[in-house]
Amino acid sequence: MFVESLKCGFNVAEVVKTFGIFVIDSKLLTSSATGKLSHDKALAMQSTKTMTFKKKLIRKFCAGLGMLSLLIAAGCRPSTGLEFPANEVELLKLQRHKYGPNEELDSKYKDQVAGVMAALFGTPDEPAFPFPANDASPFRALVSLGNLNASAGPVASVKDGKENLGLYRKHCANCHGLAGDGAGPVALTLNPYPRDFRLGKFKFKSTPLRVPPTDEDLVRVIRHGIPGTGMPAFPNMPPDEMEAIVDYVKYLAIRGEVERRLWDEVTSLAGEPLAGIPGSLDTAQTREAFRKVLVSDPTSPISDILFDDVLPRWVERDARVSAVPTAPAGVEPNDAEFNSLAGVGKELFLGKANCIQCHELPGHSATQAVNYDDWTNDWVKTPGIDVEDKRTFREFLKAGALPPRLLRPRNLTLPVYRGGDESRDLYLRIKNGIEGTPMPSSVSLNDEEIWALVAFVRSMPLK
Amino acid sequence: MLVLVRLVVVVGLVASMPLAVSAQDSWGHLSGRFVVKGELPPAAQKKIDNDAAYCTRSGKPILDETVVVDENGGLRDVFVMLLLERDAAPPTIHPSYEEKKNEPVVLDNVECRFEPYAVFVRAGQKLSLKNSDEIGHNCHIITFGNEENVNLVAGGTVEVALQKADRVPGNVVCDIHKWMEGVILVRDEPYAAITAADGTFRIDNLPAGTLKFQFWHKKVGFLREITVGNQVTGRRGEAELTIVDGETLDLGTIEIDAKALTGDK
Repeated sequence: MFVESLKCGFNVAEVVKTFGIFVIDSKLLTSSATGKLSHDKALAMQSTKTMTFKKKLIRKFCAGLGMLSLLIAAGCRPSTGLEFPANEVELLKLQRHKYGPNEELDSKYKDQVAGVMAALFGTPDEPAFPFPANDASPFRALVSLGNLNASAGPVASVKDGKENLGLYRKHCANCHGLAGDGAGPVALTLNPYPRDFRLGKFKFKSTPLRVPPTDEDLVRVIRHGIPGTGMPAFPNMPPDEMEAIVDYVKYLAIRGEVERRLWDEVTSLAGEPLAGIPGSLDTAQTREAFRKVLVSDPTSPISDILFDDVLPRWVERDARVSAVPTAPAGVEPNDAEFNSLAGVGKELFLGKANCIQCHELPGHSATQAVNYDDWTNDWVKTPGIDVEDKRTFREFLKAGALPPRLLRPRNLTLPVYRGGDESRDLYLRIKNGIEGTPMPSSVSLNDEEIWALVAFVRSMPLK
Repeated sequence: MLVLVRLVVVVGLVASMPLAVSAQDSWGHLSGRFVVKGELPPAAQKKIDNDAAYCTRSGKPILDETVVVDENGGLRDVFVMLLLERDAAPPTIHPSYEEKKNEPVVLDNVECRFEPYAVFVRAGQKLSLKNSDEIGHNCHIITFGNEENVNLVAGGTVEVALQKADRVPGNVVCDIHKWMEGVILVRDEPYAAITAADGTFRIDNLPAGTLKFQFWHKKVGFLREITVGNQVTGRRGEAELTIVDGETLDLGTIEIDAKALTGDK
């Protein structure tokens, strides 16, 4: 549906029409010429930290005065010149974890990693993907470049608004951030924080821990939203746009995982971990050539990280979906056996299954164990950090980490289930646990025991 | 295809190295002892905010185990790890390790702490997560390349296998009792060791030749600029050591300044 040529192929009349729609859409996009804070600018703030003043000036000029002329002259939708911000929190963590409190990584490696990342994955306006050269490779089917192009870039419409571009920035980036770091402009106002995709962890899915969600899992979360959180439902999103956004979420997650692994290599090895890899490259042309070199050299660290580690997990996910057995009679509230099965579940809940350790139940005294999720624990477990003393982690907040916020176990007496309210959803939450949270998988419980717990959980709000 | 190419490269490298051919029948060992020089503050007491009645029933306080030294200054839980640079061929593995890989490594929950605090397991080796307590725990392992989070019922045991080798150790936590902490290292090769309570370590049957090792401790990361044998470790806590056939390279006492271990900001 979406092809790359869409971005640059349309004629002047269409461009003018596009720009018209642009202006109508511009409550969010307000032209920088008027001096108001634009949508893209707000997002760009995340990545401008390292930008020089001169670059900022040039960027301002392009975004403002040059927007229309660029559109017409080049026949392209405007490029905002954005780069993905580096994962500074990850780098800081690895430095503290490996080098102790004071030492930093040599800045030449930062430039190298930025160059490699831009070559492999492009920019927020011009996405690329490290497809292997071999056409038959299963990695080639993971995402489509057309879908990435439809999601990337600033918001724009062509052909009477029927085909939309910049879908990610239109629908997602305000919360999830330009790089999918979960730290978009409004992230701080939301509880829980929006998901940071870069750890490659997702909570509500049909696959076990460490196996990424299927496309259907992602579609479901976007289509229905997540009750009890800031994640809205998108019930009317056309299927082709949904597909484009799902591919883009996978792209951001894969990109984030590759970057983290690259930092891990660079900070661990004693020699020259990126020896032979040139530094940062500036033009799209050379980035493409560079990408081809990186993905085709089986001895490069990039090849190991991509094809032996990150991408295989995304390819195998469909085969790793957890089977949900048929629910026995008694799981649904209308079943005659519901109360007796829920009774069995209650005993497990209070005893063997450990649920009461975290999930409070009226009438049963137990301390509610509160904790942090993996996105926070990932850096607050760094030696030297006391999570209750802000002075010990100021540098992390400065690098872009969101302030630690306690995660409360679900109050199951309320009928709000973030991962879905069907029996199979509750079964999966108990069976596999919830990735990124303290909720563990239940390998010690058999299926009958899990179904009894499902019945008890469903009975709680009814009382 | 890619695997094949890599295999060919690896085989080619191994075949071209005279060391690797002879390494099959020449093996040596490595040992040493880490000692802290200077005074350390006493270990902090952990805040017990859940199941306190059970966890503290013996009356013993639960202490922070990030830095543990014995009465002679021996430093526990230093990781000594073979360092494989990016283009290095994997080391030849002594046959005695084959059988050892079939034995599970046990990580127990005892009186609301992990026993042992530091664990080394090979990728794919069975890791037995045990709960000797009469209350439930969860065992949440997060390393760079691995993750497990299992519900451990009272008295229960769950077997897992971590599949991906890591560069440095990762964390083990119990989310229900959040003072519980441990560290775990996952490696493809068996050539790593953790210092015991008296600070000693030993790695047997290393392929003879010059090898790089890295020294790591949870508190400070790579142990840099420490004197190991006749050299000083580099920026990644690494040192090049020569293992001689049939001999044990004893690094003797390796001193770490107490100030380096209290390096909080």
